[in-house]
Amino acid sequence: MARGNRRHRPPWLSYTLVAIGGVLMALPFLDMISSSFKGSGEYGILPYHFLPDSFTWSNYAAAFDQLQLGRLFLNSVIVTLTVTAAVLVTSAMGGYALAKLRFRGRDVIFRFVLATMMLPPFLLLIPDFIIMLNWPLTGGNNILGQGGDGGMTTSIVSLMLPFLVSGFGIFLMRQFMIGVPDEMLEAARIDGAGEWRLFYNIVLPQTGPVAITLGLVTFVSQWNEYIWTSLIASTNPDLMTLPVGIQLLQSFIDPNRTTPIVMAGIIISTLPVLIIFLFFQRYYVRGVMLSGMK
Amino acid sequence: MTETYAGATRGAPTRPGAGRPRRQGRAGYLFLAPSLLFFTVFLILPSLFAIFLSLSQWGGYDLTQITFIGVRNYGDILNFDSTFLSPILVNTLLFAALSVIPAVAGSLLVAQCIERLRFQGFWRFLYFLPVVATVVAIGNVWKMMYQPSGLINGILNMLHINSIGFLSDPTAALPSVAVVQAWASIGSAVLILTAGIKAIDRTVYEAAEIDGANSWNTFWGITLPLLRPSLLFVFITQCIAGMQSFALIIVMTKDGGPANATNVAAFEMYQQAFRFGAWGTASAMAMVLFVIIFVATLIQLWIGRRAGEDD
Repeated sequence: MARGNRRHRPPWLSYTLVAIGGVLMALPFLDMISSSFKGSGEYGILPYHFLPDSFTWSNYAAAFDQLQLGRLFLNSVIVTLTVTAAVLVTSAMGGYALAKLRFRGRDVIFRFVLATMMLPPFLLLIPDFIIMLNWPLTGGNNILGQGGDGGMTTSIVSLMLPFLVSGFGIFLMRQFMIGVPDEMLEAARIDGAGEWRLFYNIVLPQTGPVAITLGLVTFVSQWNEYIWTSLIASTNPDLMTLPVGIQLLQSFIDPNRTTPIVMAGIIISTLPVLIIFLFFQRYYVRGVMLSGMK
Repeated sequence: MTETYAGATRGAPTRPGAGRPRRQGRAGYLFLAPSLLFFTVFLILPSLFAIFLSLSQWGGYDLTQITFIGVRNYGDILNFDSTFLSPILVNTLLFAALSVIPAVAGSLLVAQCIERLRFQGFWRFLYFLPVVATVVAIGNVWKMMYQPSGLINGILNMLHINSIGFLSDPTAALPSVAVVQAWASIGSAVLILTAGIKAIDRTVYEAAEIDGANSWNTFWGITLPLLRPSLLFVFITQCIAGMQSFALIIVMTKDGGPANATNVAAFEMYQQAFRFGAWGTASAMAMVLFVIIFVATLIQLWIGRRAGEDD
């Protein structure tokens, strides 16, 4: 009896649990939106009230003004697009070699690529930073990487360099390209096509879905990158990206005045990622499931 | 297939494709060259340098000033007087446990419930939202909500409960930040577990239903054991993330305070290097944390396999 009932009745318990969880997930975002519309003197007073008394857009104007959002935006766009493009190109090339070409040492290289995914980023933070400081012929350094002031950290290139190649990306592309039929490539090889032509004309056009997935995951994580960029930008404020610039404003003295502006800045800076996510949710979700991590 | 093909062409040097394997070899290295160069400069060299630095004393700037001192850095951080073991490493494990356990338990519950509901896409979107937000957004929003004049204390006050100093009280600070980590990571766990539940063969449930099992029995008897690979995967990846992440702690507490209450190993490494200029000590901390994460992962894999054999 009870069995039969469960099928026809809506699962109220499940609805309740998921809805309570959903409220907990949404509430911080709603509080963020609401706070970004609170007028001066209205935020940070007791008792707490959720909705703004006097709805104002002034925090958004202040965010553009005080945060120099335009410049932060430009830096974020340059870095994110470059890194995404580089990861796509190097992953596709490396993936093709590991999937479809036969050469000595291929399996060793593949295993090495898998191993790179296990190296935690914090381990490379210190040595990578020192390498940047001592990069030859940048920021006043001589050919031995000495004598300058800041080395590569004076250039926006240093924000991108450690992210240009992704072991996960190579792995993802390889797994996908293995599915491309060998007969297709053999036929083209007999017709005299070079490996680059095979890659560019036959394999690459078929990688669309996996390329979108990899591109999205890379784009989102680079757009949101904080630790490395904040390190570089701590000596060179011109290189700040959106998250770093917003965090810096947040650390200014009077939180009651700046917090609504920070919230407005966060909303503006999250919009591009959110819009992309809404359109390509399916691809992004698959990327997260494949990587298992953000 | 490829073997026989290669064998058949052997001894036929006049064939037009005879030079193919060598050509493929050169192409293979060329295609991989950018990646291998990158890995050499930004992965292999830095890893070796990090090991060397952990055995050295260095105050920064001039590379010629690095002095090799053996394992002294390790001795300094791994003795019972050092703050690195306690509270910092203890905090690291607590932070991981306090964020992973609620995230895995919560995502299991949600994944189990969500597949019976309508508008699944909407619910999943809701849980997944924090995954696409930057840590700066997440950290600052929660920091705002934790303030005495913030949302959470506002609700507590409405219920006539005294305000809690979520980030200023030393006993509350670490759990408060760990909750945020759990909140932010639940979305990807829900996704993976939902996919795992969907992959379970429906006929197993139907058979159990005929045998008169209720949903509680089927959850413990069928869903949980068959979901074990997905669960193990979620648990391990979240543990690794929980033990090494410190961006949230920087954003929410700035210095791991109050009084080291939220200081974790990766953050202490960061501060030793980039705030205090003790590069050798910092590198030794990085090595110790790396080994701990590695060993913890192996133990989890081993327990996971053992549990699998018992079924």
